Amino acid sequence: MNILETKEVSHDFRGLWALRNVNLQIEKGERHAIIGPNGAGKTTLFNVITGTYVPSRGKVFFKGKDVTKAKPHDMVRLGMGRSFQITSTFPRLTAFENIRMAVLSKRGIRFNLFQKVDKMKSITEETDAILKRINLDGERDLPASALSYGKNRSLEISMALSTDPEIVMLDEPTAGMSRDETHTAVELVRRLTEGKTTVIIEHDMDVVFSLADRITVLHHGEILAVGAPKEIGENQAVKDAYLGEMEV
Amino acid sequence: MNKKTKWILWGVFLIFLIVYPLVFGIYYTNVFVTFTIAALFSVSVNMLLGFTGFLSFGHAMFFGAGAYGTAIALAHIKGLPLLISVFIGFMSAVLLALILAPLVVRLSVTAFAMIHMAFGMLMYTLALKLRNITGGEDGIGGFPIPSFGVPGIFSIDMTDPTNFYYFAMAIIGFTLWILWFITKTPFGCLMVGIRDNAKRIDYLGFKLPQTKGVVYLIAGGCCGIAGSIFALFQNLISAYELHIMHSFTPIMMIMVGGVGSYFGPILGAGIFTMLGELTTRYTERVELVIGLILIAVIMYFPLGCIGFYHYLKTKYLKRKAA
Ligand SMILES: Nc1ncnc2c1ncn2[C@@H]1O[C@H](COP(=O)(O)OP(=O)(O)O)[C@@H](O)[C@H]1O
Ligand SMILES: [Mg+2]
Repeated sequence: MNILETKEVSHDFRGLWALRNVNLQIEKGERHAIIGPNGAGKTTLFNVITGTYVPSRGKVFFKGKDVTKAKPHDMVRLGMGRSFQITSTFPRLTAFENIRMAVLSKRGIRFNLFQKVDKMKSITEETDAILKRINLDGERDLPASALSYGKNRSLEISMALSTDPEIVMLDEPTAGMSRDETHTAVELVRRLTEGKTTVIIEHDMDVVFSLADRITVLHHGEILAVGAPKEIGENQAVKDAYLGEMEV
Repeated sequence: MNKKTKWILWGVFLIFLIVYPLVFGIYYTNVFVTFTIAALFSVSVNMLLGFTGFLSFGHAMFFGAGAYGTAIALAHIKGLPLLISVFIGFMSAVLLALILAPLVVRLSVTAFAMIHMAFGMLMYTLALKLRNITGGEDGIGGFPIPSFGVPGIFSIDMTDPTNFYYFAMAIIGFTLWILWFITKTPFGCLMVGIRDNAKRIDYLGFKLPQTKGVVYLIAGGCCGIAGSIFALFQNLISAYELHIMHSFTPIMMIMVGGVGSYFGPILGAGIFTMLGELTTRYTERVELVIGLILIAVIMYFPLGCIGFYHYLKTKYLKRKAA
C-alpha cells in the first residue's frame, strides 16, 4: 500500500517548471531514495509534499488523504517528519532544548502556560534518552550554534524523527559532510529509521545503494526511472545521464 | 546559587520593598513607582521582542488602552472598585490586541514593526481628536481614585502615596511574576523557538500564527496593566502618553538592559529612571544624554548590560579554567 503519493504534480516558479507531472509512490515501510543532479527539483518535490508550497498542478495524498493544500504543521500532525538540506535547528538553544521542542510537539503540548517545563520529568527523560541515542549527551548544554557541523546535522536529522513520525523525509542528510562524518551520519540514519517509512534525498551513490530499497531518479523536474538499486544501476538511460556525471 | 540562598535573597528584597517608602520618603517612593511601571511596560514589550523576536514600534497604544480604559471607567462609573478598574484597563488592552492580532500575526518581522508604527500613530491621533471621549490634549484627569478594601470591613486610602506604592508593587510584582513564569513553561520554549527559527517551529507541528497571537495578547494585556497603574498613579492620562516616543522608550530600556534576558528590561528601566533623575538636576536635555548612552551601548555591548555581564563571566570562567 502506498502511504505517500503524488499525482501529476507540477510546480511552476514563474515560468520555470521545477516539477513536471511527477507521480511519486512511496510504499509503507520502505526506504526510498530520490536522486538526481543539482537543480533536478528534489527539494522542490519535498517542499510540495511537506506543505511549504501548494503545487501549481496535481495532488498529494498522504495515508489516503488529500493533503495538497495542507500546511507544514498539518503534515507533522498527520505523522510526517522532515529534515532540511540547509541545517534548520534552533541556533541559540542548547542541543537539549532543540530536541525537547520536538518532544513537546510529539506529546501535543502546545499551549501549556501553567507548568514549568524543567519540572516535567518525563519530558526531560525522553529528551535525554534521544540525546544519548544520537551521541549528543556530551554536548547536551551547548547551544546548537556551538556544535560542530556534523553534530548539528545529527541534531537536524533527529529533530525530524523526534516527533515519532510514520514517515520521515530527509533532504540530503549528509550534505556538506566529510567522509568520516558521512559514515557516522549514514549509520545514524540507518539506526533511527529502522522500520519507518523513509524518503531520502542523497547525492552519494554508495550511501544510496546501501540504504535504499527503491530509488526514484529525477531529472529536469521529471521522473526518469523508478526501481530497485540494482535495476537503477543497470538502467542505461540513468547511467548515461547521471550516474557518470554524479560520480565526479 | 542554591535554593536556600535564593529564598533568603528574595526575602531581603521583599523587606527592602516594604521599608523603602518609610526610609526614602514620598518623593523617592513616587520615583520608584514610576520605575516599576516602566519596568512592567518594558518586560511586556520584551515578551515580543526578546523572547519571540518581534519588534513593535507601537506598544504605547496598549499602555494607552490600559490607562484610558481605567480612567474612563473611573470617570463615568460611580463607586467602581479599584481592582475592577485595573481589570478594565487590562481588558481594554487585551481587546485592542484581540482586534489587531488577526492582522499582524502573519506578518514578517519588518512589516510587523512598521504596521505597529502606523497603528500607534493612528491611536495617538484618535486620542487627540476624539475629544469628548479622551479629552484630547488635556486628557482625562481628576477622576476619583477608589479606596482599596472591602466595604464595611476595611478601606485603605489610595490617594496616599505610600499606600498607593504598596498597591502598585503588589499588582506590578504579581504581573511580573506571571510573565516570568510563562517564560519557564513549555509555551515559553515555543516563544524562543519562534525567535530562533520560526520555520522549524512550523515543521515541528506547532501553529505559528496562533502561538504568536497568544504572546501578543499577553504582551498587550500586561502593557495595559502598566498603563492602568500609571493612570491611577498620575490621576491623569493624556494623548501625549500615546506618542511614538513612548513606544521607543521601552525598546531603549530593553536594549540598554539586555534584550536576551527576562531581567534585562527591568535593569534598563532602573538605569533610565536613575539617569532621568540625575540629569534633570543639571540639564533639560535628558533625551540627549539618554541618546548618547544608547549609542554607546549599541556600539560597545550590543546585548546590553546583562549581555556584558555574561561576557565578563565567561571570560572570568575561561581564565579560571586556564
Ligand atoms: N524558491 C524558488 N524560486 C525560484 N526558483 C526556484 C526556487 N526553488 C528552487 N528553484 C529552482 O527550481 C529548480 C529545482 O531546484 P531544487 O528543487 O532545489 O533542486 P534540487 O534539490 O534537486 O537540487 C532549480 O532550477 C532551482 O533554481
Ligand atoms: Mg536540494
